[in-house]
Amino acid sequence: MKTYLAQRLTIAVLTLLGMSMVIFALLRLVPGDIVDILFSTAGYVSPSEKQAIMKELGIDRPYWVQYLDWLRQIGTGDLGKSYRYDVPAWQIVRPLLPVTLELAALSMVFAVLFGVPTGVVSAVRQDSTLDYVLRVFSLAGLSMPAFWLGMVIILGLVTWFRWIPPLTYVSPMEDLKLHAVQFLLPALAVGYRSSALIMRITRSSLLEVLREDYIRTARAKGQSGRVVVWRHALKNAMLPVVTVIGIEFAFLIGGLVVTETVFNLPGVARFLVQAILWRDYPIVQNLVMFIAIVVILSNLLVDMLYGVLDPRVRYGG
Amino acid sequence: MTRARIAALPASFALLTLTLASPATTEAQTPKSGGVLNMMLREDLAQGFAIHETATISTVWPAMPCFNNLVLFDPLKKTESVDTVVGELAEKWSWQDNFRNLVFFLRKGVKWHDGQPFTAKDVKFTFDMLREAADAPAKLRINPRKDWYANVEAIEAPDPSTVVFRLKKPQPSLLLMLASGYTPVYAAHVPPASYRTGCVGTGPFKLKEWRKGEFVELVRNPDYFVKGRPYLEGLKYFPIVERGTRQAALQAGKLDVSFPGETTKTAAEQLKAAVPQLVVTPYNQNVSDNIIMNVKKPPFDNPKVRLAVSHAIDRRALVRAVHQGGAVVGGSLAPKPWGFWGLAEKDLLGLPGYATNPADEKARARRLMAEAGYSPEKPLRVEIVTRAIAVYVDMASFVINELKQIGIDASLKQIETAQWHAMATRGDYQIGANLTGIGPDDPDANFYENYACGSPRNYSQYCSEEVMKMIDAQSQELDPKRRLAMVYAIQRRLEADAARPILDWKLDYFTVWPHVKNLIPHQSIYNFGRMQDVWTDK
Repeated sequence: MKTYLAQRLTIAVLTLLGMSMVIFALLRLVPGDIVDILFSTAGYVSPSEKQAIMKELGIDRPYWVQYLDWLRQIGTGDLGKSYRYDVPAWQIVRPLLPVTLELAALSMVFAVLFGVPTGVVSAVRQDSTLDYVLRVFSLAGLSMPAFWLGMVIILGLVTWFRWIPPLTYVSPMEDLKLHAVQFLLPALAVGYRSSALIMRITRSSLLEVLREDYIRTARAKGQSGRVVVWRHALKNAMLPVVTVIGIEFAFLIGGLVVTETVFNLPGVARFLVQAILWRDYPIVQNLVMFIAIVVILSNLLVDMLYGVLDPRVRYGG
Repeated sequence: MTRARIAALPASFALLTLTLASPATTEAQTPKSGGVLNMMLREDLAQGFAIHETATISTVWPAMPCFNNLVLFDPLKKTESVDTVVGELAEKWSWQDNFRNLVFFLRKGVKWHDGQPFTAKDVKFTFDMLREAADAPAKLRINPRKDWYANVEAIEAPDPSTVVFRLKKPQPSLLLMLASGYTPVYAAHVPPASYRTGCVGTGPFKLKEWRKGEFVELVRNPDYFVKGRPYLEGLKYFPIVERGTRQAALQAGKLDVSFPGETTKTAAEQLKAAVPQLVVTPYNQNVSDNIIMNVKKPPFDNPKVRLAVSHAIDRRALVRAVHQGGAVVGGSLAPKPWGFWGLAEKDLLGLPGYATNPADEKARARRLMAEAGYSPEKPLRVEIVTRAIAVYVDMASFVINELKQIGIDASLKQIETAQWHAMATRGDYQIGANLTGIGPDDPDANFYENYACGSPRNYSQYCSEEVMKMIDAQSQELDPKRRLAMVYAIQRRLEADAARPILDWKLDYFTVWPHVKNLIPHQSIYNFGRMQDVWTDK
């Protein structure tokens, strides 16, 4: 187990190093830089002034020097300075992280709480009216983009109640109820799509398991249908579901852009897009690295969960 | 008048009637102190509060309350002219030596937000920095309006409360440029770069907090030099990137005011239908749709081709189709009543592209193209560039369709914002669909910036010695009537030369809740954000 973990962590570090090269190179391949954007807000460009600003920001240096400098900064825990805001990048990124993590976690909680039970019901009542209703409902969830659903929620609220959620982040210490409302609505919009996916995976996986011999044996031994499904079948059917949950969570960290934008939540994803538009390299590079870390860790967690769910899984050295 | 325009009249009339009847203009009410105004931003502050380093309303609107100018267009008057200029940091001013010296007598006892006294030294510091004087103590990293001060020879501060602007030649318009929202006075004891992250001004509101990407909060300046002002306790600006969310927030009452330049006619009508008590005021954004053609590169180095393009575009159809009536046709300055200096519709009739019969204009354009050597068998193929933003692309698409009708086979190339100005300044294009915003509604600010030889914002690189002389002459003209006639002549000449064909002037439908008082849109989006006299009757 320890060897396996060490192996995975080594691979994770190498993956992050590769990611750092990719993101660094991709950002420089995109036309334009922060100085072009600054001049675009002024409506003109002066080559000499441009050169001076590039020097001030250190982006006139060779790429490899900039890259090594960035790695050195990460190594020392210094994330550099935001080009746009002229303040340390960490100062900007830090308050964004809990917002996105909370939204992603809440969305996943909703998705799992809704997706797994409905998937089970749908599988157990295969081809019944309820199964069809749930399948249509899940198909709708997969077909509806979260941002569209978010906008519909906002428009519905403003039309019927003349109310929309707060425009700035409300901390739970400040007002727990308002905080809950602020996060529940976008979590519903995002979680609905994920729940649809989870529901469909749960259903198909469970249907497969329910046809296994040991299920027939359990039924023959006189165990109740509920025990067979929830205790014996579901546990084995959960492996692909857990995989999907892991992937969905990792995807959500970077994929909440539009939902955060529609609900005006100050999270990582919305800010990342703004930072990309501004070519704010320190912010973009560090946020992408953060997302990469979350993806790697959630994959690792999922792999570790396999062993818990299925005792046959062994972690080799 | 076409049928569509006649059909649009009742709606416009209704909108204007609603505005005139609105409580926002009931200035007779006694102002109340207190309250906070919640306002939207379409994006986070572009460069903090550094107004002098930007040319965008995204900075000017939230930063203006922190600052003062020497003079300002009266916030309570819609019209911007020399008659509506009021003193701010300058108590009085006087033109001397036949408009060659502009002397400002400053207010005494004014303090910066950090407690330091304001003196003539601050004024000299600011304007020496802006005009990039050889002995300027500081330099801006980006200086978009340097050309405004090209005629300033020296700035003197003979005593702490007097400043003299010495000009190379008479320029009455200088006062109007000083009255723009783009012309605040910076503190000499604070590095100019610090305005990118904070704000030390003398203005009616002080910066309390700028939470990046979330909000900007300003609070009442208790030491403000105008007693009893500001009325409001504070201002809060929320950057909301999604247009639908902005509109919903306004509709829900979470926000009190729309963002200048962001509410189209259609959006205003939707808001008004949803919340009838909202007060909508149409006014000139002072932003024009225009065509830039690189006169240094073929085929647009040929005046006939440029003229053909100008003749081909039916401005009135553009206003109807793209703006749903939310714009007006005009020359290089906005026409009355939306602006002061622009050619009236009757004066435009003889100019390329403005005839009432579009078919005649297209026929004329085809003849010009034939004279330039193009025909249906040998069409002109060009790439029309535009900024990758919806308002640009919509207009460019319309223009492409118009050009096709005269045998110009144009394809659209969208340029990302990061590349747009660099490309335009370098002249790295043939033809483009462009938007141009002007700070004050003033000929000098517009002509020197967009048509003067060598100006970095003269994207077409049009340069005419004769026109330059005309521009200089109007700038020095002291008689208002004669100056107006000269400005009309320049506009006619610019359109006849197809220097930068103007397609229309966009209107904004500024929307506020009825409890918002004394927030009166001007002839330009850039000049009415001070908030000193705004109050709320909530």
